[in-house]
Amino acid sequence: MKIKNQGYNICFAVIILVLAAMPLLLSAGVITSSSFILFLGKCIAFSIVAIGLDLIWGYTGILSLGHGLYFALGGYAMAMYLKLQATNGKVTSFMQTGGFTDLPLIWKPFLCTPLAFALIMLIPVVVSGLVGYFIFKNRVKGVYFSIISQALTWAAYSLFTGLQSYTGGNVGITEMSSVLGSIKGSAHQTNMFIMFYSSLVILVVVYAVSYGLVHTKFGRLLIAIRDGENRTYFSGYKVSTYKNFIYILSAVFAAIAGEIFVNFNGSITPTQMTISYSITMVIWVAVGGRNCLVGGVIGAFLINLCDYNFSSGAMVEIWQYILGAIFVVTILFFKGGLVGIIRDQLPMAIRKVTGKEAG
Amino acid sequence: MKRKLTALTLGLIMALALPGCGGSGSADSGSGESASADSGDTVKVGILYSATGSMAISEGAVKDAEVLAIDEINAAGGVLGKQIEYVAEDGASDPSTFATKAEKLVDQDKVVTVFGCWTSASRKAVKPVFEDYENLLWYPVQYEGMESSSNIIYTGAAPNQQIVPAIEYLIEQGYSKFFLLGSDYVFPRTANMIINAQCEAAGVEVVGEEYAQMDQTDFGSIIAKIEATDPDVIINTLNGTSNLSFFKQMSEKNYTAQDYMTMSFSIAEEEVKTIGGDILKDHMVSWNYYMTTDTPENEAFVAAYKEAYGADRVTSDPAEAAYDAVYLWKAAVESAGSFEAADVIAAVEAGGISFDAPEGTVEIDGSNHHLIKPVRVGVIDAEGTINTVYETEPVDPDPYLTTYDWAVAANLQPVE
Repeated sequence: MKIKNQGYNICFAVIILVLAAMPLLLSAGVITSSSFILFLGKCIAFSIVAIGLDLIWGYTGILSLGHGLYFALGGYAMAMYLKLQATNGKVTSFMQTGGFTDLPLIWKPFLCTPLAFALIMLIPVVVSGLVGYFIFKNRVKGVYFSIISQALTWAAYSLFTGLQSYTGGNVGITEMSSVLGSIKGSAHQTNMFIMFYSSLVILVVVYAVSYGLVHTKFGRLLIAIRDGENRTYFSGYKVSTYKNFIYILSAVFAAIAGEIFVNFNGSITPTQMTISYSITMVIWVAVGGRNCLVGGVIGAFLINLCDYNFSSGAMVEIWQYILGAIFVVTILFFKGGLVGIIRDQLPMAIRKVTGKEAG
Repeated sequence: MKRKLTALTLGLIMALALPGCGGSGSADSGSGESASADSGDTVKVGILYSATGSMAISEGAVKDAEVLAIDEINAAGGVLGKQIEYVAEDGASDPSTFATKAEKLVDQDKVVTVFGCWTSASRKAVKPVFEDYENLLWYPVQYEGMESSSNIIYTGAAPNQQIVPAIEYLIEQGYSKFFLLGSDYVFPRTANMIINAQCEAAGVEVVGEEYAQMDQTDFGSIIAKIEATDPDVIINTLNGTSNLSFFKQMSEKNYTAQDYMTMSFSIAEEEVKTIGGDILKDHMVSWNYYMTTDTPENEAFVAAYKEAYGADRVTSDPAEAAYDAVYLWKAAVESAGSFEAADVIAAVEAGGISFDAPEGTVEIDGSNHHLIKPVRVGVIDAEGTINTVYETEPVDPDPYLTTYDWAVAANLQPVE
């Protein structure tokens, strides 16, 4: 048990070290484009969502197909603050198109920096808390939960595209810089590095918190809920409260990821809260390997890196099929994902070939 | 011990994958040490459209037109003696992906310019990228106006080159009860804001304004509202598949253009092909170009397009504007004598960059980066061909509608 845990941590440490070296490689001229660092920044955000999803799916057995909702809630809240910074508190063009001459009421709190940051954290907690409270109190689980999570995301998507004068509709909120000011182009490289390393620190903190959590008694309870929810109830635990807590935590992680994403991306659109985007997030975890936190991180980086590099030239259309095939094969044959292959299937294959017991 | 090995293997894979991916992009960005895109005898440009997702079909046709133009230019000797090499990226119908890919093109692939984007959402998402990296985007689709970036050239129509003249034409033809129907996003909303102001100034009644959800397929309640208000013309800014559903359901109720005339701003030859000429017969559209536009340049363009991509393919206004974009870029580069975005922009702003396009000669207005182009109102016939019934002289672009008294009076300018 002890060694295995160390193994995952070493793997995570290697990933963090490689990421931390990237800006240095850029300074040294090994990597020639700063946009690649910006892209890795977005990947850091994606891997934070993946950790959150792994907490509820891999450990607790709650499959959410709607985490794009929390990702986008965090993203929009951050974007509202950043947009007002960019326009100096004036109304935006989409509000004007909608007939506003003054800031709408829901935008006003984002004028004040401390209040804005409080809201950025509070909104996902309140929304996921309410959703979780009603769903888990009524003991909705399994596929029914997945369907509800999808429906919620769809409802939120319709709301955000429909309320064009408040949210920018389909276009979303665009044209803003990060909390540190512009991070694009060689003139703003210092800002970009600060942003990148801060995000990396957040990823480490999120991993550490999650790792700590799943290795306490609380973590065992989560696994107990996953493997035998009724038994856990009968043992005297209030399952719904535990589920609700972990659901809120994972929603908060998704929201934090959305906030980081907006800073690197410079815009947020309702596409990030679509069902297909939410399912993509689940694919990261499935392909990387669930039930071990590092799996989600690996999946998020690997799939997004492939997306980034295979989407030009002849690979454009083929890549979609390959991604689909990888997902299907993973689900059918390799339940542990990439981590599972290297941890279980590969040693087994080696044992078969060499005909003797390893390690 | 085995577990440790596992971890190290995983770590190594990641370690190898990361710089490998980052390096691969920079490796093909030219052979020169400076990694500049115009080193050697080729110059690199970017093409950024959706190859996957809901916009793939529309955007694919536009991309094809640009590739055709690039091939033609290369066959004729290239630009400033260099062959054009293009890097095509997939925006995946997602504005955020567009932003990521735009950044990749201008920063990692070091392209000198990018031709791309269809939806306003994707254009708005990439706009800051082109401004931050001081690169240049050629945007080929008619749009809602109210924008003018120094790092974008808009080769499609501004509202005063499509919407405003079409409404003027309708009023002239004696239509007096307008019904505004659109999908719920920025183009229809802005278009209808303009049309409302225009109708009010002209004393024409707008009897209804309805918005459908994006890709809505059930128009029962909207058709009921149309019947209740009984307009004599419907101004249609629906997008994509909604058009197909709306016109199908109208024709199921046996409504023809004689009952309710429509004027559409998002139906071009591609869409007519999917909806069908029998349903769209006698309905009106407004664009700058049709496949039937009678110029020698268009004859050559249509023939080349069909030869390259198949006889069943049709050319449309966005495809033509995209084709023009490549030639206009060539003209601007030759005028500047340089591929640098800043020099090309300076050449554009100096004025006089023009191209004998299939729609007639177009010229970039240096003051606002839009094209001076003619407007054509077309009527669709039973075979699905769009024939021009009304044509203007080339109209100066006015994205903010500052030269129209009614628009100024209605305070349509954004404050930003």
